[in-house]
Amino acid sequence: MSWIREGELNLIEKLSANILKAGPMPKHVAFIMDGNRRYARKRQVERQEGHTQGFDKLAETLRWCLNLSIHEVTVYAFSIENFKRSKDEVDGLMELAKQKFIRLLEEQDNLEKHGVCIRVLGDLTLLPLDLQQHIARAVVATRTHNKCFLNVCFAYTSRHEIANAMAWGVEQGLIKSSDVSEALLSRCLYSSNSPNPDLLIRTSGEVRLSDFLLWQTSHSCLVFQSVLWPEYSFWNLCDAILQYQLNHRPLQKARDQHREGQALQQHEADRACLADLLQHHGNGKPLDAQRRQEALLNYTASREERVQDFLGALQHKRDSFLTDLTSQAALA
Amino acid sequence: MVHVYEFMWRVLHVLLHIHRTLITLFRIRLRNWNGQLWSRAIAALLVPIALSFPKQKKLVPAPGKRVGRRYRWGADGKSLEKLPDHIGLLIAEEEPRYTDIANLVVWCMAVGISYISVYDNHGVFRRNNSRLMEEILKQQQELLGLEGSKQHSVEFLSNGTDKQDHQVLSCQSVVKVLSPDDGKLRIVQAAQELCRAVEQMEKTAKDINVTVLDSLLRESKTTPDPDLVLKFGPVESTLGFLPWHIRLTEFISLPSHVDVSYEDLFSALQHYASCEQRLGK
Repeated sequence: MSWIREGELNLIEKLSANILKAGPMPKHVAFIMDGNRRYARKRQVERQEGHTQGFDKLAETLRWCLNLSIHEVTVYAFSIENFKRSKDEVDGLMELAKQKFIRLLEEQDNLEKHGVCIRVLGDLTLLPLDLQQHIARAVVATRTHNKCFLNVCFAYTSRHEIANAMAWGVEQGLIKSSDVSEALLSRCLYSSNSPNPDLLIRTSGEVRLSDFLLWQTSHSCLVFQSVLWPEYSFWNLCDAILQYQLNHRPLQKARDQHREGQALQQHEADRACLADLLQHHGNGKPLDAQRRQEALLNYTASREERVQDFLGALQHKRDSFLTDLTSQAALA
Repeated sequence: MVHVYEFMWRVLHVLLHIHRTLITLFRIRLRNWNGQLWSRAIAALLVPIALSFPKQKKLVPAPGKRVGRRYRWGADGKSLEKLPDHIGLLIAEEEPRYTDIANLVVWCMAVGISYISVYDNHGVFRRNNSRLMEEILKQQQELLGLEGSKQHSVEFLSNGTDKQDHQVLSCQSVVKVLSPDDGKLRIVQAAQELCRAVEQMEKTAKDINVTVLDSLLRESKTTPDPDLVLKFGPVESTLGFLPWHIRLTEFISLPSHVDVSYEDLFSALQHYASCEQRLGK
């Protein structure tokens, strides 16, 4: 399969993998695959060759992740900022992406066998139409697979993701402004169907996030490695996982504390909304403790129902966008 | 067979913890000995050990005097190719030591950094805001002296206040204390505000974009995003630090803020000066 290299680990690699797997393993790893162009300069080859080798390395890394029982991987393939590059380079990258998605569609049987679900996160409307259609076909074809998940961020920046999530939430009038919460915003992001990444790895020695998953990685383990992406090795990956294991307990604790804080804030917000409602629509008589408690539970339940309906509508909108693209492609 | 792997995993992690402890011990010892010959010898020993466990980019702080010479701090700042406009000091799961934080803030001011944010993920600094401010003013007097303190004035921003235009002073720095509420919660509040505006027909969904959101989340029009975050502590994560604002922030890790020296800070700044940002290009 072109997107996931076939093959097994050698003996030493298998041994190391088994040792690592005795400890806590990340379920979702995110990669910023940086260093393709520097690699090309180093090897004195064309830039495009650097990107192609970068893709091959992605295929190899996905194989390693599967061997290590890491079933969800998110990669930063193309940022909205990358449109600033020379027209030649951008066109080359779009062409590479198109070829890879076409290849992917040819290997549908393999994808089904391995249960690979491909998702593309980003503002697809910024891409050339033919690429949009290929992407849509790949995503729709693998939608129901659920053994492993590959999320490709294409035409993506985190800030656009957050702003778009808000815009949509507000547009439909399906929710009230008081329903907006951290949990709701998370479910509106492109990555709503995935848990937050446990581990974020950036290669090539840069130590910044470059507008990648800023919301989702607030409590993830960040590992910055100096190796260039096309030179990434199994041992680099093991090193990153070791870092994750060393940070696992404190991060888990911090995450739990944050979640508790969130739940408390939501509870307080519900009470405040209820008090507001009673003030405006109540008959003036103060409620006793039990009636108050009932009213609070009712309010919470109705809020959650509103939110569920809204999220259903959002998912439907996104699915329709993709299916429309595929029917366009079929007609063409 | 599973038990064998589990045993080997435990051995591996014990070794890693010993390695970490040794590094920390040597760091403290080197600082105390302060002898060139000793530090070179120990460094020579440490390097192969450090290299055998490939680690992510961390700075092993150089041994140095705790109180540097104040007249050279400004010159140091000017000697760097670039200096961050806004630096974040992130204390990641460490017991806060107010004097050390205050030292860091004062050094940042002396070197010429205009905006300094202090953050911990439990909101301890936010709750003890006044104590931190007092400590900073005290250390400012001690480290910069009376003259220096007059030259480098500091303004403390609390949540919600706008930076006002003061009369022109020679070097003014702004110190802000942050907590997790300034991160995701603030973004949620901005979202609620925009939602209300749409409910009341003052805005449409099309009006909501990155620029609008950015201006809502900016404390004041002049405060820049953090260029550099120095992370102190054993945990490799941002732990909720201003998710919106850190899209282009460089992250440099230092082992601990306890007994941190000016040299530690300056080598981090030198490292920052050599970072190249391509901004997507």
